[in-house]
Amino acid sequence: MSDLDKAIAQLRACRPIPEAQVRELCHKARELLIEEGNVVTVAAPVTICGDIHGQFHDLMELFRVGGDPPDTNYLFMGDFVDRGFYSLESFLLLLCLKVRYPDRMTLIRGNHESRQITTVYGFYDECVRKYGSANVWRYCCDVFDYLALGAIVLGASNTLSPPNEHISSEDYANADIEIEVCNADGDIMSRFQRRSDGERSPNGASASAGEKTGPPGSGASGSSGGSTGNPTGAVLCVHGGLSPLIDTVDKIRLLDRKQEVPHEGAMCDLLWSDPDEIDGWGLSPRGAGFLFGADIVKVFNHRNDLSLIARAHQLVMEGFKEMFDASIVTVWSAPNYCYRCGNVAAVLELSEGGGGESIMARSNGDVGRSDGGMRGVMMESEGAIKNGPARRYRVFQAAPQDSRGMPAKKPVADYFL
Amino acid sequence: MAAAQPQVPHPSTDRKRVKVYELRNNDWFDRGTGFCTAGWHPIEDSQREPRVVVESEDQPERVLLETRICKEDGFHKQQETLIVWTEPSNGVDMALSFQEAEGCTMIWRFIHSVQQQFNPGAAAGDDTLSDDLAMDMHNTVQLPEAALGNLGMIEDSMRALSTTAASRDALTKFILNEGYILKLIPLVEQAEDFESLNDLHRLCNIMKLVILLNDTSIIEHAVSDECVIGVVGALEYDPDFPSHKANHRQWLKDSGRYKEVVRIEDGSILRKVHQTYRLLYLKDVVLARILDDNTFSVLNSLIFFNQVDIVQHIQANQSFLGELFDIFKTQGQDSRRKKEAVLFIQQCCSIAKNLQPPARQTLYNNFLSHGLLQVINFGLRHNDVAVRVGATDILVSMIDHDPQMIRRTIYHQIQEKQPPLTDSLIDLLLIEVDLGVKSQISDALKVLLDQGPPAQPEVYAKANGEHAVRLQPRMPTADPQQEQFLDLFYDQSAVKLFQPLIMLKDRTTMNFTVQQASMFTYLIEILCFFIRQHHHRSKFFVLNNDIVKRVGQLLVCQEKYLKLVAIRFLRQLIGLQDEFYVKHISEKKVVGPILDVLVQTMPRDNLLSSACLEFFEHIKKENIRDLMKYLVENHRDQLQKLVYVEIFRDIILKYDQTRGFSVSLDYFMEAEDDVRRKRPNVNPRTGGPMEYVTMDPAEEEYWNTSDDEEDQQAKAGGRAAPANGMSPGTKLVDYGSDEDGDDHVEAGALSAEDEGRLAADKMDEETPKPGEVAPPERLSEKRRREEDEEDDLGKLIQHKRRNSSSTSANSSNSPVFIRKGKNGASRRDSGGGGGPKKIAITLGSSIKAGNGQANSKSEDEA
Repeated sequence: MSDLDKAIAQLRACRPIPEAQVRELCHKARELLIEEGNVVTVAAPVTICGDIHGQFHDLMELFRVGGDPPDTNYLFMGDFVDRGFYSLESFLLLLCLKVRYPDRMTLIRGNHESRQITTVYGFYDECVRKYGSANVWRYCCDVFDYLALGAIVLGASNTLSPPNEHISSEDYANADIEIEVCNADGDIMSRFQRRSDGERSPNGASASAGEKTGPPGSGASGSSGGSTGNPTGAVLCVHGGLSPLIDTVDKIRLLDRKQEVPHEGAMCDLLWSDPDEIDGWGLSPRGAGFLFGADIVKVFNHRNDLSLIARAHQLVMEGFKEMFDASIVTVWSAPNYCYRCGNVAAVLELSEGGGGESIMARSNGDVGRSDGGMRGVMMESEGAIKNGPARRYRVFQAAPQDSRGMPAKKPVADYFL
Repeated sequence: MAAAQPQVPHPSTDRKRVKVYELRNNDWFDRGTGFCTAGWHPIEDSQREPRVVVESEDQPERVLLETRICKEDGFHKQQETLIVWTEPSNGVDMALSFQEAEGCTMIWRFIHSVQQQFNPGAAAGDDTLSDDLAMDMHNTVQLPEAALGNLGMIEDSMRALSTTAASRDALTKFILNEGYILKLIPLVEQAEDFESLNDLHRLCNIMKLVILLNDTSIIEHAVSDECVIGVVGALEYDPDFPSHKANHRQWLKDSGRYKEVVRIEDGSILRKVHQTYRLLYLKDVVLARILDDNTFSVLNSLIFFNQVDIVQHIQANQSFLGELFDIFKTQGQDSRRKKEAVLFIQQCCSIAKNLQPPARQTLYNNFLSHGLLQVINFGLRHNDVAVRVGATDILVSMIDHDPQMIRRTIYHQIQEKQPPLTDSLIDLLLIEVDLGVKSQISDALKVLLDQGPPAQPEVYAKANGEHAVRLQPRMPTADPQQEQFLDLFYDQSAVKLFQPLIMLKDRTTMNFTVQQASMFTYLIEILCFFIRQHHHRSKFFVLNNDIVKRVGQLLVCQEKYLKLVAIRFLRQLIGLQDEFYVKHISEKKVVGPILDVLVQTMPRDNLLSSACLEFFEHIKKENIRDLMKYLVENHRDQLQKLVYVEIFRDIILKYDQTRGFSVSLDYFMEAEDDVRRKRPNVNPRTGGPMEYVTMDPAEEEYWNTSDDEEDQQAKAGGRAAPANGMSPGTKLVDYGSDEDGDDHVEAGALSAEDEGRLAADKMDEETPKPGEVAPPERLSEKRRREEDEEDDLGKLIQHKRRNSSSTSANSSNSPVFIRKGKNGASRRDSGGGGGPKKIAITLGSSIKAGNGQANSKSEDEA
């Protein structure tokens, strides 16, 4: 068993690893993250998760519900720390998994991955309590600066694979399901067929428009390889939302992200903005980032060949919330937030699409994608908004009380005053 | 109402010294000190109503507080000297902290008597002992006798009683009067003996209910010596976690947790120390999950007032302080004791952070007069890392509180010809291995040497009134001591500090240990800060020590993050909009290596390539001619390899199209000079290349001042940095040529219409008409000023700077270039994709791009 596996085992038991080991881990993580672009390209299948906020036991529950890494690929959209009592263990475990399985774990930055925010909302305090000095906090903050700002999921299918072993894939191949909601045990709670315009999807947003997008014959034919469905438009994952300074995904690539989250500007907006029922852009009550309306999302998705934006950042009581004709979804993965909000949490599963060509179309490098908006508009002027990928939300509740210790902060050991 | 008066001693003549606190964001905010009176104040119709009034101590006519005593406010007396309540009009929690218990009692008597009238029969009894209010209540409650057999009933009736405010009050009084907590405590052990988990869970629930009654007296009672162990004992068996048992008792019983460095003689203070620790434990550990906001703030305020008392006691206690600091004076003293003394002071300082500034100030003053600096010195050199951490912590918290205080000490040291504190810090930074200490020290150095722009604070005053007010305390104008300090620093210390960087000169291989690499990271970060702060001094230093070349060397090292650091350093230099640095960078040929890094990295999309691309994007966007020229002339082949990236295509294109310009450079310079000479006579705005549709006074003010700024700075710059070889003339060339070239690039680079649409919402009221460049800049200037402000406020926190904000921060420190910034700032501010603000430029100038200088000149004069 390597040191890393030992560290993972120890962290899974919710026990912090020694400072020296944290330092080494952060060093390795930095080497790894420096190689990632500001927007990481991730191939489906992948399970997309929202805020964790130091709720370690609920993170364990998430892994139980969504499948253990590395068997499941995960993409965490930031806000690993603060608020909960186990920010340290949660973040270090995710980081360990990232270092151990770099291609199967994607971590992007949230607004709480910042020095200023963590000093106020608990992570700093927690590190000082658990290690007696702020060094571990400093190491972690250094890693925060290297985290990617977003991710693009490519090759997601517009059909789903079965949610559990009891359902054969044949049944699935023929059902044209766009959205499926499962409970923590993988039982289907509700399903939504692909529909035409104007009909409603689970939380009130209407399902995305259009027919099947794939070329004739490539559709739900149940091919022997078990891979069904067509690739759809890409899914952009970002913690907060859009920025008025960013009109194409490539603009994100031109940011020098290795810095504390600024108070304004594109990088700040990506981590702080929220969608809202407004037209255009609005001032955010958070004091950072912006509010953006349906028109902004649709134009952005169209221009960038996206079918969906997945983001986190806002508590939603149902765990997920699709808005603006399913062009953007909020995913929230901290059940019973702050141990008292009473919400459920969700993760978003995107399954693997059949054709691999869309992956090739978007290599990680800048090749052929540096034309900015102009080309995008011209290229896609013939198409409607891309058909959304099939989405499975697994909804789960807070880990049963008994599976964890009593959540509490660690007391200060010695005192003089 | 008047009938009640005779019962009450009329206290309005007794003026009680008191502090008024208000709860803001869970912190007690000090509204000031004054004298408190309570009495019947006449209102209309010859009626009178009971009021509590506090008049300011310093300005007797100012009323700090005036509140009506009415039925709804729950006034409570806490401890000996506190009265707390919630202001019914606005729901704000308030507190009066009395200097003397006697005064508190007087005022309380009055309040209490009034409240009694409002709630007749609610609480009579002895007013002076109001902490335990009497029991003959209207709705008296009764709990079953505390016994294991009754627990179910007790829990049920408590739950029922907890629902309404009145019954909660009654329950609270019952529990206090009966000493109910003490009666419950023995049950825990009984239930443990019987191993009756059920009863234990009930006891835990009951205890939670008791605490969540949210009454200060109950909580104080619960953490008292006699109760605390029993209370937390009951809370160990949480029914939410049936299979777990916490070990609170074991934790709190361990008396070894309290370290006593110097004996605290005052028993009440000592009790408060322990009480505070227990309250913290209760808040963070025992109750962390179940606390509601009210209980949380009650706990917090109890802790806060305790800490205030403790710190007050310590700082006023000369013999205590004497003994404390004597620990360091005696040779051969127990080193463990010294260590603990450092940690004790550290804890004092961290508690002091919560206090109001004046109280903190007195504490530090007292510490300093007893020799705190020697302690820090001792601590910084200690071989135990915990002590070093402690010492830097103390230092940093003092610097955070008031950097000027430490600076004065340093000036003093300089006068005494002692080595200044900064030198010790530098020594330490260079040898320190603990990264935490290192980063604290580097932060401390930055703050100590951060003295705002040394030159022209008055320019700021004009540029933005509000801004100037905020800056003033931090920038005592042209303090000769500061100047001397900085001179000395750049004369001697800077070379020492940046020695490792300077030493790179003789190094051929760039393999570093982790320690070395992190050292460079810190040094370059500090240097970046200095370059922003100390305009000409740092420039001279960079030039003299060939720093750019040295940093350039790091571009070929193995560690990618170190390469990043180097790129960011150079990016900052070009972001300064300083002709000197641009020239210097192209002379030192360090842009080539960055290009090399990019070529090696591409087409991979990683942090390194993003940073490089951003670097070149900036050159292109800001149209830094010298660098583009340098790039194309010396690295055309490499650029060709990268033409699939738009930036490089544009750079080459731009160069090819404007090559002719450099030939007629002299002519151009002359023309610009003419304009320059004329300008003072013209309104600076109309003389400039841009016009506004409408103008507001503030804006006018801005442009006027920014012009002053230039002039002044032009002089200052010329005088201060003769070595940099820049003259106003050369700057102007760039200014003019900037116009056309840039615009052309913009036109090609951005899908302006799209961006325009995006931006339209943000700035619709200022929609630019074709040819009018200025309006968008109004917005961006505003933003820039905000940024400056932010940056000034945030100088303590260095990490938050991003590129573009640091650039604009810099431009404020180097106002020479602000004239260029009129145009440049808008682009800069638009940052990553600020297309919106460029539309107008594009429209106006794509024509111009073709026929060059004459056009831009005429526009300049327009």
